[in-house]
This record gives sequence, structure tokens and C-alpha cells, in this order.
Amino acid sequence: MVRVAVTGLGPVSSIGIGRAEFAAALRAGRSGISPISSFATTGFVQRLAGEVVGFEPAALLRRLDPTRWGRSSLLAAAAARLAIQDARLVPEQVPAGRAHAVIGTTSGESQVLEALTGQIVEAGFAAQDPDLLEQLPANRLANAVSTELGLHGESLTIATACSAGNYAIGYGYDLLVSGEADVVVVGGADSVCRWAHAGFARLGALTAGDCAPFDRDRSGILTGEGGAALILETFEHAKARGARSYAEVLGYGMNCDAHHPVAPQLAGIVECMRLAHRNAGVKADEVDYICAHGTGTVANDLIEGTAVLEVFGTIPPPISSIKSMLGHTMGAACAFGAIAATLAIDRGFLPPTINWQRADPALPGIDPVPGSARPARVRVAQNDGFAFGGNNAIVLLGALS
Amino acid sequence: MSELVIAGWSVLSSAGFGAPALAGRLAEQRLATAPVHPGVDVSPLYPQPMPAPTGHALLELDARRQLGRKGTSCYDRATTLAVLCCQQALQAAQLDLDGEPELPGALSRDRVGVVLGTSLGSFKSTSDYSRETLVQDKPYQVNPMLFPNTVMNCSAAQLAIRFGLRGVNATVAGGGLALLAALRYASNAIDRGHAEVMLTGSVEEFSPHRAWADHLTGRSGPVPTGEAAGIFALSRTAGPGWTGTRQAGRLLGVVTGFGPDGADSAEQALAGCVARLLHRAAVAGTEVRTVLTGETSRADLGEYLPATRALGHQPERLLTKQLFGDCDAASGAVALAAFLAVDFDGLGLITGRGPDGAVGAALVKGAADVGTHRR
Repeated sequence: MVRVAVTGLGPVSSIGIGRAEFAAALRAGRSGISPISSFATTGFVQRLAGEVVGFEPAALLRRLDPTRWGRSSLLAAAAARLAIQDARLVPEQVPAGRAHAVIGTTSGESQVLEALTGQIVEAGFAAQDPDLLEQLPANRLANAVSTELGLHGESLTIATACSAGNYAIGYGYDLLVSGEADVVVVGGADSVCRWAHAGFARLGALTAGDCAPFDRDRSGILTGEGGAALILETFEHAKARGARSYAEVLGYGMNCDAHHPVAPQLAGIVECMRLAHRNAGVKADEVDYICAHGTGTVANDLIEGTAVLEVFGTIPPPISSIKSMLGHTMGAACAFGAIAATLAIDRGFLPPTINWQRADPALPGIDPVPGSARPARVRVAQNDGFAFGGNNAIVLLGALS
Repeated sequence: MSELVIAGWSVLSSAGFGAPALAGRLAEQRLATAPVHPGVDVSPLYPQPMPAPTGHALLELDARRQLGRKGTSCYDRATTLAVLCCQQALQAAQLDLDGEPELPGALSRDRVGVVLGTSLGSFKSTSDYSRETLVQDKPYQVNPMLFPNTVMNCSAAQLAIRFGLRGVNATVAGGGLALLAALRYASNAIDRGHAEVMLTGSVEEFSPHRAWADHLTGRSGPVPTGEAAGIFALSRTAGPGWTGTRQAGRLLGVVTGFGPDGADSAEQALAGCVARLLHRAAVAGTEVRTVLTGETSRADLGEYLPATRALGHQPERLLTKQLFGDCDAASGAVALAAFLAVDFDGLGLITGRGPDGAVGAALVKGAADVGTHRR
């Protein structure tokens, strides 16, 4: 049986760029939320988001020309560059075709689409900038990573909305286990955009204040953005090059509620947790920490928490939501979750849920690790990902034994 | 990866609903003198001005008429195409799930998955939504019911909801390579035991947004913008698990790759994909008799040349975009459907190449050759 190690971490987030900054921010429970600068918020009640304010692609990228790629592609490629540096991996030393790129996203190049729409509204279809149209296809996110790192393997963008990062990790894991790859760069990326902000606002899912997952009075998500990448490698390949490994990918499970375009369903999520445990060879009582999907909406947190109580019993493992700090980074969310869970295992701490004040009486026994990080030995971590369309995916990570 | 059965499939194209319409267009075009089919007058479809008077649209498409009122009120064109096509593919595979609580054999709905290829979901639905935030009195005065249509997994999710498919539900963004990416994803899902059946395909709708994008970038060459959907039910060739009651063809393999260093690198990568396919399927290049590329003219050899270099000979080339338009993400699905709809001798090779260096190829066998082809 081929085993899969996590050997590199590349977060480009609103709470820090690079592994060290991100880990320090998680420990401190730092908020990445700020007034929105990427679009005009006039007319909106909600004016906050988790933007990556200090993102300078040219400072991080070596091969990509930032003028030719959209923001989400640049976030993905920058995250991948950081992850490969963190892994101290030289892509040219991996045999051609044995290193792949798999990137998840919800809305692809949403800011490019928004700019084009502005041009259509302003002056009609014929007025669109052809260079922007070239930047629009969502497959460019993975293609940006492949180009930046010079990878000859598969270059796949997975667009299963807000669980796409876990789909990407899962597919990358399978490529390694089935012998198709030595190294896979996996992750996710998305950009803050006006239409998604409006859509969540109209659904009543967007908070005007703090994002407070699992709090009794939680009032919704904040939109966020970022790029998050992990280097997955076979144990054999990692060992041969003397790499340091942070954690092991134990397995994953995916299913579909087949129920509703936006509302999550308890049965599907319960089944997905059990499926992920089965595939990973993990028993529920071996899970030490759950990195929650935890969006901060009334519906998600109720259903996720209820599913956890059903699967794990009355004393479930601690479950925290880093979306309290980052906002909902959409297609990058699960990849950020996987980075946080990996750091939890490697560094021995539980990332907190910030902004949490009052326990939800509907979720007795849920421990959201409120406020700041808590030291803990984490041997097995569960990373939850749910999405519009009932696209559920859960990844299990473990300590290296 | 292992060889997979195509247990049933369907296609919607500008030629009409289903395989016979597609086959009819292929047959009639062999007699035609002009290589590029102009499509139909697209002016009835949208009030907006179009860059060209004709395109490859399926004018008869009507969600309410063809699928009923229930659940369809929010379907955009892409989702309507996908749902109709999937319904037909399920019937063809004798997996008629519409309203059926029990599936044939011991097949559970938890084990039936979906993977759809796309370029960016519905450009029109997303842009229209974005537009509302600019033109309404308040930027949040958007229709919440239409919000899911702005997310790329909308069509795949609607297939799951409509037909009760609880297995893995994935959307892959591949542009012109979307079908190859979906076939690759499905192969892995079946090989790794995530599903027994994968409804695998790709979809693209006709819209002013796409027509203008094609026009302004010039990326479709002489070929008009088109729309289509193709969905193929894939399963293992032998148990355990569901293997289909009939065989409409076989997927011998699919390989994708990337050339990160420009045109030469992409050509090398494509030739490498084809060589690897042949090697893995243990077939000789001479057994491939038809190559179906994403090229738009005879003069364009960007896929055919590297493919034939790996094959070692120059089999017949079929440019399906000339007959059915540039259907972007659905182009590969139209090509696979064309190969299966016509009784081509020998094996078919479907190739794809994207502008950024992404490449891929799939090796397929038609119904007539299934069972007779020696490994």
C-alpha cells in the first residue's frame, strides 16, 4: 500500500502569506477581516470581507507573467510556489510527467468575469477586452500552477464549489496511491467578488458583523479569498530525497446529498463522515480534531454539528472553524482547512474559533476551541468540506507513525 | 487505469436530440461541398445583437416542455442540456432512474456518480447575475433562486437532484479538454472504488456571451460558436459491481498532461500522452483508424501532427467542430458521440489541446468492435 505524505504548505491568506505567518496567526486567533477594497460596497449593508490585502504576485512568482493571468490563477500559482519552496522540492528533479497539479475553485476567475460584465453594461458585448476574455476559463487555475512550476503531469481544475479543495486533495491522493504520480501539488483558490457577496447577502447568509461559527447567535458568513496549496508525495519519494513530512493523508470520502441546490442535508453529511472514516481506515473515536466546514450560517453549523454528534456521540472531538478568521474562502477553504489540520498535527495545537461567545443549546457537547489556540496532541484530524449542490468531501489526515 | 465499458450514452447537438440526429449530420456532410456547417439562424434565441447571424444552437430546447414544470424553473440552458442528455443516457444504459426507487441489480444510488466537464459553468448566468448588482437600485437586489446558477457545479448538482444520484458528484473545468478531464476523473473514481457507475460528460450552452467571446478572441477560427451536451455511462468491464447490460463501446484509456514551456513543449506532451495510451492499452498505433481532434480547419495541425507522430501513421481525421460548431467544453463529448454514432472501423483517438499547454487523448472502441477486438 502506497502511503502519502504532506511535505509542503503554501498559504496565501488574509491572515498571513507563507507557512510561518499563517501558523502564527492561527495560534494567535488573528482576524483577516477588513473593509472591502476590491469592489465598491455602496448600497450594501455588509461591507467586510477576508481580502488578501498584501498580495503581490510579482514578489512570489518566478515564471508566470502576472499581467497575463487573473487573480485566482495568480493566488493558486503563488500558493503552489510557496508550497514547493516549503517542501524544498526542485520540480525539475521529479521525472517529467510524474508531478501533477490539481486545484479546486468555486468561481474561478470571478473578478475577470466581473470586469467583463462591467464592460458589457457600459458599452455592449463588442466592447469587451479580448485579453480579459483569454483570462476567463477556470481551467487556467491549475494551468497557472503547472506553468509556474514547470510540471508536465495532469493539470486539473476541479470546480465543485466550496468543497473543491478537498476534492483536489482526494484526487491528488488517488494519483499517488494508484502509482500515477510521485508528487502532486493540490489546493484551491478563489477571489472576493461582488456578485457572490450580493448572492450570499440576498440568501440571508452574509453577516454584517463578525463571523462566529457555532455561536448561538451566529449570523452568517463573510466572503473571503486566497490561494492554498499543499505538496503531497509518496512516502518513498519523500524519503528518497530526505524531505521532512508534516503529516500523512489517510484517505477521504465524497458523496452527494442529491437533495437541494443550496441547503445542506444531515443524512448526506453523516454518511460522508462515515465514508471518509471507512476509506481512511479510521474509527470515529480515533479522531482528535475536526477542522470544520463551519461557515457561520445558522443552517450549516446546526447540520454539521448535529452530524458530528450523530457520528461521534455525546462527547465529540473539538471542532473549530478557521472561517472565523479567514471568512469563507470558497474553493480555497478546504485547502486552508487541510493546512490548518496539518499544522495542528505537526505543531500540536488546535486552531481556534474566534468571535465565539455563547454555546448553542441545539449543539450540546460541541467544543469549538473558542478564542485562542489550545495545545493538544493531534494524531488524526478530520477536514470537512460541504458545498452548494450537496457536494460533500471529507479528508482525514494523520500524524506520521 | 483499467478499460471501461460505455454502457449507454446520449448527445444533444445543433443537429438535434440524440445520436441519430448527430449521425444524420455526419452522413449528410460527407456529401456536402462546404467543409464548415454554418449552423442555424440564432436571432430568435436572444434579444441582444450577435457577432454572427448563425451558430450551432439547439433552437427547440425548452426545459418546461421537455422536462416538465417541476424543478425546472431555475434551469439555465446549460443545466437543461445536461439534464435532458443525462435522462437519455440513463435510458440508453437501462438505468432509468426517473421516479424509480430501485435500480437494476444490486446497484445503489450511493454508488452512481456524476462528473461533468465545463469551461466556467454558465458564462451567461454568472454575468447576468453580476450585471444585476450593477443595474439594480441596490446591489444586493439579485434573485436568490438563481444564485446557484453562478456556481460551476450547478449542472452536475442538478443531475444528482433530478435523478437521485448520491455518489461522487464532480465538476471539472477543462475548456476544450473538459471531456478528457471528465473521463480521467471518472476512470479514477471507478478504479479507486468511489463509484460503480460514473455518468461522465460535458456541456456547453449557446449564449451571446460565448458567441462574442469566440468572436473577439478569434479562438474558434472559421467555425461558429456552438452548444452541446454529451453524457456517457461508464462502468467496469467485469465485476464486482454493476457492469452494464449492454455495451455501446469501450474506453480503453485516457491520458492528460501539460507542456509548460510553449508550443513545442505542448506538442511533445500530446505525443507523449498518445504513446502512453497505446502502451498502456497494449495496442499498435496502426489499430487507430480515426483521429478526432479539436482543430477547426484542415490547415490546423496542432493536434493531428503530434498525434500521428506517436501513432506512426496518418489515419483519417474528423473535425467535428466543422459540423457542430465550437462547443468549447462539450467539443470532446461531441467527438466521442460522433465516433460511437458512426460505425467506424478500428479504434478512435480523441485529442485535445488548450491554449496554455494542457493536452490529452482518449482511446475508444465502438460497439461493432466490442468483443471482437483482440488485445
